[in-house]
Amino acid sequence: MAPSELSRRGLLRLSALLGGSAALAACGGPSISESGGAAQSDIDWSGVQPASQITWWSNHPGTSIEMEKEYIRRFQEQNPGITVNLVTAGKNYDEVAQRFQAAAGTDNTPDLVGASDVWWFRYMINGQIIPLDGLAQHLQIDIADYNPIFYEDYAFDGRHWALPYARSTPLFYYNRGVWQQAGLPDRAPETWDEFERWAPALAQVVGGSPLGLGTGTSWAAWWFCNFMWGRGGAYSQEWTLTLDGQETLDAGEYVRALVHDKQFAAPSQGGDDGYVADFSAGVTACTMASTGSLRGILEQAQFEVGTGFLPKGPAGPGCPTGGTGVAIASSKTPEQQLAAGMFLKFLTEPEQTAHFSAGTGYMPVRTSAVDSPDMQAVFAETPQARTAVDQLATTRVQDWVRTFVPSGDQYLTTAIQKIVLQNEGAASAFAAAATEITTSYEQNVARYI
Amino acid sequence: MATATSPPDTPVRRAGSHRAPRSRPRARRRGALRNWLLFAVLAGPNIALLVVFTYRPLLQSFYLSTLQWNLGSPTAIPVGLANYADFFADPGTPRMLAITVVFTLATVGGGMVLGLALAVVLNRKLRFRGAARTIVVAPYVLSGVAVGLLWLFVFDPNFGVLSAVLRVVGFGSPDWYTDPGWALAMVIIVYLWKNVGYVALIYLAGLQAVPRDLLEAASLDGATPFRTFVSVVLPLLGPTTFFLSITTLLTSLQSFDIIRAMTDGGPLEGTTTMMYSIYLEGFAGGRAGYSSRSPRSCSWCSS
Repeated sequence: MAPSELSRRGLLRLSALLGGSAALAACGGPSISESGGAAQSDIDWSGVQPASQITWWSNHPGTSIEMEKEYIRRFQEQNPGITVNLVTAGKNYDEVAQRFQAAAGTDNTPDLVGASDVWWFRYMINGQIIPLDGLAQHLQIDIADYNPIFYEDYAFDGRHWALPYARSTPLFYYNRGVWQQAGLPDRAPETWDEFERWAPALAQVVGGSPLGLGTGTSWAAWWFCNFMWGRGGAYSQEWTLTLDGQETLDAGEYVRALVHDKQFAAPSQGGDDGYVADFSAGVTACTMASTGSLRGILEQAQFEVGTGFLPKGPAGPGCPTGGTGVAIASSKTPEQQLAAGMFLKFLTEPEQTAHFSAGTGYMPVRTSAVDSPDMQAVFAETPQARTAVDQLATTRVQDWVRTFVPSGDQYLTTAIQKIVLQNEGAASAFAAAATEITTSYEQNVARYI
Repeated sequence: MATATSPPDTPVRRAGSHRAPRSRPRARRRGALRNWLLFAVLAGPNIALLVVFTYRPLLQSFYLSTLQWNLGSPTAIPVGLANYADFFADPGTPRMLAITVVFTLATVGGGMVLGLALAVVLNRKLRFRGAARTIVVAPYVLSGVAVGLLWLFVFDPNFGVLSAVLRVVGFGSPDWYTDPGWALAMVIIVYLWKNVGYVALIYLAGLQAVPRDLLEAASLDGATPFRTFVSVVLPLLGPTTFFLSITTLLTSLQSFDIIRAMTDGGPLEGTTTMMYSIYLEGFAGGRAGYSSRSPRSCSWCSS
């Protein structure tokens, strides 16, 4: 065969060329560096003019899409030069965050993004969001009016990285009809000891374990804070793991005994939200669920629903914060960030936060909103909604390893599932989680902070 | 590569054999150029698609697997093969591989057996055969997420249809959502329900291609229907079985949507297959470098 014709060798050369091109193209991706994503330093906002278009990625917490559209309409009415595009970026906080992370480095990032309790820190160490302190000062946002517990949730290294939006805490929900049949006072138990005293009577009424527990991801490790903090334990003290601390182990053993030995509590047999469905259907007498579930439970339940503080442990009360805030992307121009800041300020103003809280059950994030006529009307109509606001005094920011370490929540959830579903001892379940969390911290957090 | 090289080979040889005697360099060059152009036009788009959507991601994924990189971060550090070492040293890896093997064997093996059985039934002269064939194939074209969400209601131990049926016949519902073994069984059942129609469809085509004279000859020789099926039909379905075993194996290894919708890999990571662990590590955990080693490890394990 003549050498100039399309020979096998020619084809091989062509393949090598194409393969080489692919290999070169494949070397795109992150740059090689020991440091993490650099956070944008505060800039001088005084000469910046807001952009005319911004995009907001939301999962519309509490089926709030129509409310969010309404806030955009109100904002655009006040600021005719700025258009806000609302994008449904997932069905929950995790999906929004995963999409935001996957979009990093592309042109397809939003100006505003949902930043939930377990995700904002990762955005920050990746350099994907900006600190808001300077922008808040420039826009004269009344920081002091935000509920400090929610506002401080987004603090790290002396700066704040998001503003609270759809914030929640767990509540104790109980079936008032069952309570009445069991001859109990119409209130949640004040302590777990008291619950144990009440549990046999409740079990008799419902014909099974009275307390339903959800064991899904993003949930089990949240309510467990109540048992753990109530006994003086913690997942960690800042970055130092305390999963082997006696108080933490005691809490794990207490929950294990509550489920397997005493049978006063049982994991829901349904899917992730099965504990809510079980309670709403009257299968269980009580459960711990988010304030964000309040509307749904009140609509579904065919009985009178009572709410109360989470019961105290021997060391006192324990209630974690949760839910989501909103952050501003660092990859955008100062003009876009300024417009985003203006919308974020508007979104969390008392009028909007009261309206949002009334419509979804999430907490009002501004203290002045609590006394607003909107919220007072809500409390008058749905007294259960007041419980979460009152409980805020005993609510605290979560332990770092659950919220800041990638997959930390997943590892802790698996440990709690082992305890609740498989009757495994707390010591071995938490030891396995500690190993995984340590690896994740060393590989994915330590070098960035 | 066979499909890419064979079409231009034939015209090249033919052209060469015609032009060799003339041995005019310019004409030969022009002919060769024409061949290359023809090759580029015919094979180029395919090769470009393969490079962009298969080989480039493959190589990039290998490159990423040598990094310690948080998804979303603009920077990473090279760690060589440490991610692979971590993967094989992880105490959870053997269990995850075992779950993947069980899921794959059950879905591929179960799908082939059930699909063949359905195809045999649908190949008979039945009333409403057309409707039955449509019903069997229909789930295959549905979205996996929609199928998963629908079956969640069916399996719910408290409120589901299945538990109601089981109660009628005196059984309690298994712990589909809280027992790792039952959860794996649940996603396998739903996967089979969704995909068995595809296997049945291909086998049905194979069965209809079996020559009638062979079946008649076997009948004349006194072979029972079972004997005819085992000794005549099954061997003739060999190429179909081979094709199906490859395609269903690939689909099973890539299975994601049903697990995502039904169990999210739980409980207790009991439905976390190799493919699902890539998602959990890469997107839920943000450990993009570590998760990139899984597809490579999967290739090594399967080869």
